[in-house]
Amino acid sequence: MTAALAGCLGDDDAPAEIHDETLTVTTTTSTYDTGLLDEVNAAFEDRYGVTVRAVAQGTGAALETGRRGDSDVVMVHARSLEDEFLREGYGINRRDLMFNDFVVVGPDDDPTGVDRMESVTDAFRAIAESESVFVSRGDDSGTHVKELAIWDAADADPEGEWYREAGSGMGEVLNQANRTPGYTLADRGTYVSQRSELDEVSIRVEGPIEGGSALLANPYGVVAVNPGVHETVNYDLAMSYIGFLTSREGREIIEEYAIDGEQLFFPEAVSEEPNFRQYVPENWTTEE
Amino acid sequence: MTGHRGQQRAERRGQQRAERRGQRRQEPNRRVTDGLAVRNVSHGFDDTDVIEDVSLAVERGETVAIIGPSGTGKTTLLRLLSCFHRPDAGTVETDGADVWALSERDRLDVRRRIGMVFQEANLFETTVRRNVSYGQHVRRSWRDRLAQWFSRLRGGDASEAVAESLDLVGLADAGSRPVGSLSGGEAQRVSFARAIAYDPEFLLLDEPTSDLDPRNTAVIEDAIDTARTRGLGVAVATHDMNQAERVADRVAVLLGGRLIEVGPAERVFTNPEDPRARKFIEGELVY
Amino acid sequence: MIEQASPVVAAADGALPLFVELPFKWNYVESIIYVSLYVSLTAVLVSTLVSLPIAMLVGFSEFPGKGFLVALINTGMGFPSVVVGLIVLFAVSNQGPFGSLDLLFTTEAMILSQIVLAAPVITGVSLAAVTGVEDGVRDAAYAMGGTRLDVALVTIKEARYGIVTGILAGLGRAISEVGSVLIVGGNIARADGTSVTRTLTTAIQLEARQGRFELAMILGAVLVALVLLINGLVLRLGGSRI
Repeated sequence: MTAALAGCLGDDDAPAEIHDETLTVTTTTSTYDTGLLDEVNAAFEDRYGVTVRAVAQGTGAALETGRRGDSDVVMVHARSLEDEFLREGYGINRRDLMFNDFVVVGPDDDPTGVDRMESVTDAFRAIAESESVFVSRGDDSGTHVKELAIWDAADADPEGEWYREAGSGMGEVLNQANRTPGYTLADRGTYVSQRSELDEVSIRVEGPIEGGSALLANPYGVVAVNPGVHETVNYDLAMSYIGFLTSREGREIIEEYAIDGEQLFFPEAVSEEPNFRQYVPENWTTEE
Repeated sequence: MTGHRGQQRAERRGQQRAERRGQRRQEPNRRVTDGLAVRNVSHGFDDTDVIEDVSLAVERGETVAIIGPSGTGKTTLLRLLSCFHRPDAGTVETDGADVWALSERDRLDVRRRIGMVFQEANLFETTVRRNVSYGQHVRRSWRDRLAQWFSRLRGGDASEAVAESLDLVGLADAGSRPVGSLSGGEAQRVSFARAIAYDPEFLLLDEPTSDLDPRNTAVIEDAIDTARTRGLGVAVATHDMNQAERVADRVAVLLGGRLIEVGPAERVFTNPEDPRARKFIEGELVY
Repeated sequence: MIEQASPVVAAADGALPLFVELPFKWNYVESIIYVSLYVSLTAVLVSTLVSLPIAMLVGFSEFPGKGFLVALINTGMGFPSVVVGLIVLFAVSNQGPFGSLDLLFTTEAMILSQIVLAAPVITGVSLAAVTGVEDGVRDAAYAMGGTRLDVALVTIKEARYGIVTGILAGLGRAISEVGSVLIVGGNIARADGTSVTRTLTTAIQLEARQGRFELAMILGAVLVALVLLINGLVLRLGGSRI
């Protein structure tokens, strides 16, 4: 089928498939919808002569697919869920990959007055108190997990008519927030890539990239599925993929990936002083 | 040429049989050895149309009319003769062989020597020609059917037997008409044509003209006559006494699921032995 | 060599003889249409081959539990596609009974789930159509020397309009459903933007999610046009040949 399709599209310039293997990556909608993954995967496919199947799901679903052994690599952005995944033994060799940040997006007339608030918790509290419309992902994604953590830190209850759980991907939620209009928490990458479509809303609270609250940091990790648990996973290729992403070449691709001249992701895998905590779940000790 | 010779042969055969028939009439419960027959059959669906202990033979070259009021088992009898159903008791025989003791394959061969015309035309939703050629179609091997399909795509589909059958019922030019365009009488004539187009040895007709006007009825009755002359054994179930008188050599009177009288048409109509048969024939017995 | 290759490359880049600039790459849309048709047509073909014999068997034989089976088929006609997707997901997942076949996120898995979706529709509508064929017509075929298979074929021929309607309904359900193909197919495109398991419906969902409503609308129009085209084509074929 692949051959027939390739033939009918006439793209004969694909490299010879030396290994003829397929790597399945489950990832979040944010890395996928920004287009970064296509860029990275194209380079990886070129380099190794393999095929990458990228399935965009929420962070929760991406990890669950890995748990069942249906994917080889998981690339997500919710450290607490990743730690759980590692602790249960489904994932190994986690690496910090890159980060960007979250921003609070809201109506241009800013009815709540959260504009440029220094503290995101203050902003969330103000939204809850004024009961302004807030569109939540509500899909157990990394963004959703982060949002709930912020409500928690703000000591506010996201309950009532004003709080809408969309149960959709980031792009969809941004569209909803734009149409309502209302507030939402978005990762900067998706927001920037979609900014041209959003005419009613813009950034109200900045994340750490623009000097905002550190609570809005959004680190991405990449984890291989443990071949000790699922013997069918393509572990070799998974590690090659992780190796490629965290190499200098991978760093360059991530760094140079920009939309409208704006860099979306900041690689953090290559460093003279490695952060050893990236490999293990939080509070993990050898005595355990 | 062959067709013509065959017809002469069949006519000769028919004459010989007619001569022999004269002697046989004397013994009504004779042992059947020739033709299509039921022997001591009982069969019923639900409570209507039940027949009990009926024996009747249809020989090649004769027309037997089965008369009786409606709901008396005429249809059941014909369906048993045409091997639609295995009788609850008794046997169905062709030339003395028990049909239901045969293998399915052999029984199919027996069935393929029988044509049947129903009260309703029951035509397939296609052209007249394809209706009439269906009998030949199912007799072909799958490979031949495929070849036939391709030749039809090229426009060729002419079978002499099909044309002859249509000619017999006065519809020689109707081959390419869709059945939807036929009148009721024409449809019934097509259904007659397709029952004889594959050259069967026996022809069973179940009230073939009950819904038809006199003109169409005459066409069918003429065709029955021609079939008989060609040597087919014909059985026609009818509630129309006049029709029975016109077409039949022998008459079987069925009443309440039992055969109460069988005999040459002239005698049964002029002097029936059974008093109930007499009443029925004289129109006194109305069900 | 390079000069020879250039027209091919131009065609692949979507250099259609159009003078307006399209808001998408043509080969993206083309590959999505191809995958949609490949998956749905294959699924409907297999469903038809399975459904017709079932419809014939259920329609013309008596057995205990027949009423229940018919009710089950009718329920299946309206079975939610996402539930089918979930069931197929667990069947073909690495942990599932067919996990070793490595079918998840492939077109084969999508075909499988669409078979489950389309088969009850085709069976149900065909069942109604074949049982609507008059007994007399079947008797006639049998009386003329037809075998049981011949009678079945005549029945199918007589019920052809109903059966074609059923097949079209099945195809409509298959090609326009989004729930199951998204779950078992994963909406995957290659890094060069051509579809692997991305269908028109999942692409529409993706484009709408990303706010590219223009492209979503175009894909939607293609989907509607395809369904209309298939309907028209089959009706035309059915009308011209008796």
